[in-house]
Amino acid sequence: MKRGMLLAFAAVITAHGQIYDILIKNGHVIDPANNRNARMDVAIIGNKIAKVAPDLPASQARQVIEAGQYYVTPGLIDLHTHFDAHGADLNINPDHNALRNGVTTAVDAGSSGADNFEKFYAETISKARTRVLAFLNIVAAGMYGGQVENDPKQMQVDKAVAMVNKHKDVIVGIKTAHYQPPDWIAVDNAVAAAKQSGTVCMVDFHEKPGRTYRDLILRHMRPGDIHTHFYGRLTPQLDDNKKLQPYMNEARQRGVLFDVGHGSGSFWFRIAIPAIQQGFLPDTISTDLHKGSIMIPHATMPNVMSKLLNCGMTLEQVIERSTLNPAKAIHRPELGTLSEGREADIAIMSLDRGQFALLDSGHGKLTADKQLRAVLTVRAGRVVWDSEGLAATDVSRAGPYSNFK
Amino acid sequence: MKKRILLALAAACAITSAQNYDILLKGGHVIDPANQIDGVRDVAIKGTTIARVAENIPASEAKKVIDVKGRYVTPGLIDLHAHVFGYEGSIWPDDTSLVTGTTTVVDAGGAGYRTYADFKKKVIDKTQTRVLALLNIAGYGMIGAKSENNVADMLPDKTAEVIKANRDRIVGIKTAHFGPPGWDAIKRAIEAGRLANVPVMIDDKIFTNSGRTSREKLLDVMRPGDIHTHMYNDRQVEVVSRFNGKVLEFAQQARVRGVLFDLGHGAGSFLWTVAAAAARAGFFPDTISTDLHSASIMIQESDMPNCMSKMMLLGMPLKEAIMRSTMRPAQVIHRYPEIGTLGEGKTADIAVLALREGVFAFKDSWNVKRLGKQKLENVMTIRNGNVAWDSEGRAYPEWNTAGNYEVIR
Repeated sequence: MKRGMLLAFAAVITAHGQIYDILIKNGHVIDPANNRNARMDVAIIGNKIAKVAPDLPASQARQVIEAGQYYVTPGLIDLHTHFDAHGADLNINPDHNALRNGVTTAVDAGSSGADNFEKFYAETISKARTRVLAFLNIVAAGMYGGQVENDPKQMQVDKAVAMVNKHKDVIVGIKTAHYQPPDWIAVDNAVAAAKQSGTVCMVDFHEKPGRTYRDLILRHMRPGDIHTHFYGRLTPQLDDNKKLQPYMNEARQRGVLFDVGHGSGSFWFRIAIPAIQQGFLPDTISTDLHKGSIMIPHATMPNVMSKLLNCGMTLEQVIERSTLNPAKAIHRPELGTLSEGREADIAIMSLDRGQFALLDSGHGKLTADKQLRAVLTVRAGRVVWDSEGLAATDVSRAGPYSNFK
Repeated sequence: MKKRILLALAAACAITSAQNYDILLKGGHVIDPANQIDGVRDVAIKGTTIARVAENIPASEAKKVIDVKGRYVTPGLIDLHAHVFGYEGSIWPDDTSLVTGTTTVVDAGGAGYRTYADFKKKVIDKTQTRVLALLNIAGYGMIGAKSENNVADMLPDKTAEVIKANRDRIVGIKTAHFGPPGWDAIKRAIEAGRLANVPVMIDDKIFTNSGRTSREKLLDVMRPGDIHTHMYNDRQVEVVSRFNGKVLEFAQQARVRGVLFDLGHGAGSFLWTVAAAAARAGFFPDTISTDLHSASIMIQESDMPNCMSKMMLLGMPLKEAIMRSTMRPAQVIHRYPEIGTLGEGKTADIAVLALREGVFAFKDSWNVKRLGKQKLENVMTIRNGNVAWDSEGRAYPEWNTAGNYEVIR
């Protein structure tokens, strides 16, 4: 009896004795992994999420971030990026292109291969504040243009598997892309390497005579493998009357995943809108962000999410496919969630109402009435982006500060 | 005879006037300090150049008409202090500068005489942004103390030689982060500036043991036309006295003798306390610049529209903020009127800016914010006659009326 009381007492002390480093107050939390979709507070201690619940006391927090006007979600996961910043020309820097857009985990989609992944790891991945993961290109030389990307000799399964096994902490799968010859060598070798390394394969595919999209998604890809750029123009997902091809749902039923991979050529309203109207939504939302796509189509995560939102998807659907779903796709259930005890990777986003314009890969415009904007990003418990100064001190209350008194 | 020529001319005009222009920016409020324009004008572009700036240019005369009503149309912004090469935090300019209305960036010392060729090959020749350079007096450029403190490799003659061979891109000299005491780096940079007849930009931390003082630097060592950057820094007492918050007399005197003061916001060089004290005395920057790099682009968001908005919050009128971000930096690097103007016949580098109303937070280097009610935001950038950025979709048609389009230009 006495002992029971003591235990209960101890429990009370623990619950009330927490000092939070950061408390995000009053935000609308959407956390599909935990079925949360309500106004709640999110408390952070160190680099971890300590508690998610309504009405956590502000008096227990060193810093309070008032988020009453915003949505609070797990840090976004961008499944398709090109962040090998010191690699091929099209790559860009991860931190300012990811963190400023609410993205805390970016998966590089095959910018490097077995011959140059170590360089990518040393020069960018290990230094970035963004969590950078990678699909290893089946092409050993990486994404360096037609000559190597079309050369079957570059596609050695053993070599790729060895590199994945060496860097299992950051390599989450195998990528194949841009392969032009009308055979299956690139896809089959990439899938084999994924299979042998216990990872998934992401496929960028151009349909050719004798090499059909239907066969790709029904025969060559395994359940759990990912077709990226699926609202693009290089694969026939709709028939001439804009009707969804029956093999699309067949492939989905057998577990093939469909990823947006917006890029500068792979997102077209004339494909995405009819597909969404027929209920064919993406499994994962991603940007294919690189030097081209970051300019006019402006394929950042909040923008790609906004495009899909204005194409008819709900906010919950869009967030699930930018957090929980990509985490599942790469077998990283510890990511994409606001579960207590997980690393505190958080996006605070504003859903702006008004009149906006969103452009697709061909610069066709969708006049939109809502737009998502990344307002504040927490990565591993630290505020790394804060466009509205929610975590900043006002100058009138700052007192004497800096070296200038 | 005369009459016939006139008639022929009139006929020629009538013929060419049909879609004579490629792009017409219609109905915007043009602020072009170089041509004393501050009012609603249309801007016509032909190929890569500005063809005409006037009221009511007929829409029928252009292949593409872009409605920019309610927006300010200015020369493409010129960022006098950016980092796009060499420096550890350097960033690619197109997605960071062009997106923010900046059509010309001046790299502040990323490369030295030994590394300029590499800079040219890897960045200058590949960007859509016009990249100019201040060549570092340190031979290997801004790659850390090993290079930046190495007086033996600060060679005025070699530096001047590379400048003379590359006047198309190199517009001046930079010295920065010099750690040892004494004047070696600054004096060598100025000697190179004298040899090549270009200005020198100086980033210098003055410490009590540095063997150099701000007074000497600003009044004796720097030449008229040389640029003191990071003017609202707090690690160097150079503009505002830390004892009484007043602008120092020698800073005022330096300005009178022609020394230029540049913002160079950066991650560590903008303090509300310093800037506000200076602004109270009317001591504003000659040139507004960002010192944009991988750190300052994050919490401080020191892009050009952000820096301009901060100056406006301190009391600088919009027109002035534009002048100090276009015409003035062009003059400072001796590139005016080639850039920094909407003059007819000049390269079509244009920013279209929205002045947003609301409540906005502007942060300094210590994550201290000041709230303001206005914020400049770049919504469209035209670089060399091409639409390079268009966040409001003003240049493009609705997807469902555009047919089976490829890429709409």
